[in-house]
Amino acid sequence: MNIIIDDKTCPAMAGEMLLTVARRNNIHIPTLCHSDALPGQATCRLCIVEVVEKGRAKVVTSCVYPVTQPMEVHTHSPKILALRRTIIKLLAARAPHSEDIQQLMEEYQITIPRRLHGSSTESCVLCGLCVKACEKLGLTAIATVGRGTGKKISTPYDEPADDCVGCGTCAQNCPTGAIPIEEQPTRRTIWGKSFELLSCSVCGHAFTTREQWEHIRRQVPGISDTPVCESCRKQQLCAQLRRGHQ
Amino acid sequence: MNIDEPIPVTQEILSKYPREQRYTLTILQDLQREHRYIPREALPLVAAHVSLPLAKLYSMATFYKSFSLSPRGKNLIKVCDGTACHIRSSLILVDEIQRLLDIAPGETTPDRQYSLETVNCLGSCAIAPVMVINDTYYSKVTPAGLRNILSDERSAINET
Amino acid sequence: MKHDTGKKVLVCCGTGCLANGSLDILTGLRQRVQDTACGAVRVEALIKATGCNGFCEKGPIVKILPDDVSYYRVQSTDLDEIFASSIQKNEVVERLLHLDAATGQRIRSQHDNPFYKKQTKLALRNIGEIDPTDVEDYRERGGYQALGKALQEMSSEQILEEVCVSGLRGRGGAGFPTAQKWRQCASYAASPKYVVCNGDEGDPGAFMDRSIMEGDPHTIIEGMLICARAINAAAGFIYIRDEYGLAVKNFAHALQSARKQGFLGKNILNSGFDFDIEIVRGGGAFVCGESTALMASIEGNVGEPRAKYVRSVEKGLWGQPTVLNNVETWASIPPIIQHGGQWFHSIGTATSPGTKVFSLVGKVRNTGLVEVPMGITLRELIFDIGGGVIGNREFKAVQSGGPSGGCIPASLLDLKVDFDTLTAAGSMMGSGGMIVMDQRTCMVDVARYYVNFLAEESCGKCVPCREGLRNLLNILTAICQGKGCADDLDLMAEICAAMAEGALCGLGKSAPNPVASTLKYFRDEYLAHIVDHYCPAGICKELTDFVINPDLCTGCRRCVKHCPADAISGNPKEVHSIDPAHCIKCGNCIDNCRFQAVQTMKGGSSQ
Repeated sequence: MNIIIDDKTCPAMAGEMLLTVARRNNIHIPTLCHSDALPGQATCRLCIVEVVEKGRAKVVTSCVYPVTQPMEVHTHSPKILALRRTIIKLLAARAPHSEDIQQLMEEYQITIPRRLHGSSTESCVLCGLCVKACEKLGLTAIATVGRGTGKKISTPYDEPADDCVGCGTCAQNCPTGAIPIEEQPTRRTIWGKSFELLSCSVCGHAFTTREQWEHIRRQVPGISDTPVCESCRKQQLCAQLRRGHQ
Repeated sequence: MNIDEPIPVTQEILSKYPREQRYTLTILQDLQREHRYIPREALPLVAAHVSLPLAKLYSMATFYKSFSLSPRGKNLIKVCDGTACHIRSSLILVDEIQRLLDIAPGETTPDRQYSLETVNCLGSCAIAPVMVINDTYYSKVTPAGLRNILSDERSAINET
Repeated sequence: MKHDTGKKVLVCCGTGCLANGSLDILTGLRQRVQDTACGAVRVEALIKATGCNGFCEKGPIVKILPDDVSYYRVQSTDLDEIFASSIQKNEVVERLLHLDAATGQRIRSQHDNPFYKKQTKLALRNIGEIDPTDVEDYRERGGYQALGKALQEMSSEQILEEVCVSGLRGRGGAGFPTAQKWRQCASYAASPKYVVCNGDEGDPGAFMDRSIMEGDPHTIIEGMLICARAINAAAGFIYIRDEYGLAVKNFAHALQSARKQGFLGKNILNSGFDFDIEIVRGGGAFVCGESTALMASIEGNVGEPRAKYVRSVEKGLWGQPTVLNNVETWASIPPIIQHGGQWFHSIGTATSPGTKVFSLVGKVRNTGLVEVPMGITLRELIFDIGGGVIGNREFKAVQSGGPSGGCIPASLLDLKVDFDTLTAAGSMMGSGGMIVMDQRTCMVDVARYYVNFLAEESCGKCVPCREGLRNLLNILTAICQGKGCADDLDLMAEICAAMAEGALCGLGKSAPNPVASTLKYFRDEYLAHIVDHYCPAGICKELTDFVINPDLCTGCRRCVKHCPADAISGNPKEVHSIDPAHCIKCGNCIDNCRFQAVQTMKGGSSQ
């Protein structure tokens, strides 16, 4: 079926999320909590758009709104722009030092009202990507703690967690750089826990924590006993394939 | 049951419930009732029983307000701050208790006798403001009445 | 010798009456009957504990049948007299009857009491009349007849049609048509399907669901059974607030006796239909009143709502088709099936048929639970039934709909109450809390109160709701402390708009209502705080100074006695004065002065 986004006709499949269709058609909708690999948070609300279905208009979150019938979508209507501006102000009041949020403020020409100027040193906007990523890896060392305005993301009792393998996936997925990760030549510290780094048995580069390597070995049976880093493993694989062809 | 030994108590509670995630809330409630808080030692046992990661369980224990992660006092004073109680000056009662017992909401007296909490509506709005000590409801409490209630409570405790 | 009095004595044991000592009344009366067993004349009378009568203000309540005499504020010291006069004989203890403030007359029957006169009891029909722990009491009043009819005489479609004709809308808040929900769910082939009762009543100021769960649990069971039959559901759940201990206890008891009687379990009433209900105790989270959060909680997760683009009638509990209704909605189902949808539709208004239970609380004389036809005016509700504002102060506003609702000013007192009129006025039906406010209620403080409530009670998942509430709370707190500035009102309105459209769930979308409605109707009061540094109600401590008007003070020393801080001095019959250095601004003096001599001073020390 076809849907119309900002006057442009876009082909879409039933069940596809609006955001996906828009992005495929080079229509820009801002997001903070969206990742193609970890979809469905719907927490930052930046991707709100106006949808007209069967003559009725409503505001929806495009990252989780499935296309089910022909519709008209406005991603930058005056109403959406006003709402999105306020949401950016609220985000900026919480995490004023985040680069992504500063960029959004520039893009939408926003100055923070004086009243919202806080002394916030927070950079986490609780988008939930880190928790989702950790869960996807089968670890779940971190989760939301508490609720309401006091909600945060942490390990149980704010202490180093047994379940954390120090992989750093949470930090890599964080859109606001809110998870501190400290890298030294042979050690990594994250979530208050310090990890020894193992070196690649091929190139010697320190690339993984002992706990992460063990976790990978549990999850991927048949992987080599000695740690091999991503790029060396790819090279080994290519070499194997070449040998197979010959 | 000996509430000073969280592990056997937890095991006994767990033995009553199937190993399914949907019993998590109930198990936590039983633990809270038994210990007046959720002991740290209990959480990993519960997590294993219902096959939840510890972080998820901790997330639940901190999300729901029925649960306390630190020990509460022997006697729990709840002052209702539902709307009906609020507009009939429930916070004045909180101030007064704070003055008399020297604890703020969420705190426990150093002798572990009293904990003070404000709660959001106990559904007894017609008799506002309401205060509950353990399971006893006190209706239409005034600052002056409060002093009598507390001194009666205290002498009852001293007798036992 | 035996003296069968033929009397049935109903002692109200709702939570309100229990708090006022009704358990002593119940055991005291039973004891007196029992004590006669060994005496010369053995007295026989049935002493029963019932659920809440609604008039909690005047509890404990004792009703004597068949005489139809109701006693209020009964104390243990009254029991000998009640036993001798009204149980052994047919005499009335005049002083315990309700005193009608308007006429000065004592009223014998509950039906003539102005508090009850304008009420139509439908969801509350059995409460106060039956012992909730005795299923026979429920059956005596027609209980489980609707179930029999639904199982033996009606097809699924006929049940759905009857509910559709009734026009019943969900009593939990938003007023979604119940039949539409059921029909959609029935249309899905997926199995199993679930039926859920939302008993996580969390709106501060509302306690009708508690009253029904405690006082008439079988009506909920029957309602759920009828729906289960109509949509072909396999299992039911009732999610009850953990704070409601008595409700959990009575409901569990009711489930057991329903199973014993063959109303639950396998092959119900020999119809081949199987269904059972399980209780889930809530964990203490207001947000779990939101349907998707509640389902997440039953599954054993954190109670966070999800976006409802796929409705829970299609994918609800464990991803299966689910019908969720609140307690009062379920309680309305058996009478609809029994008496027909048309009968129900003839009550109330065209768009909001039936009755609604309101909890009338706050600064109103007769506080309690009342059930009235939809379309009653606020004035009738607050002044005719509620008896007006306490202490003869002026009515200022009524807050309806809990934290999702708004404050309605005096100018709208003639508003006919139903789902749509309240929404149009910027408030909401919500679960039916009606909190009456007077001149001593500060509307800025009320807005701050609700925002603070939601800041603690929301799930904290999405940005507009979480950050919106955080910032609204900061601004409102500043205004209450006299640190407001002129731009604050526009900024709050902007945040409210973003929350209303941008938040993830119904709770977040309605969360700004208390702020938006007070901004709309009580802007002057905000400005008094910001511009004049003055709280007209005398509630915001930083902006309040109490003074005694020497022209009005009679020197009665009432305020002196009520001051907990010993800040008021004055000899009898001389003008008193308040020492601002010692005043803790609790307001006891102004609330207790009978001559309006204590006043709040504009331009106090804080300026």
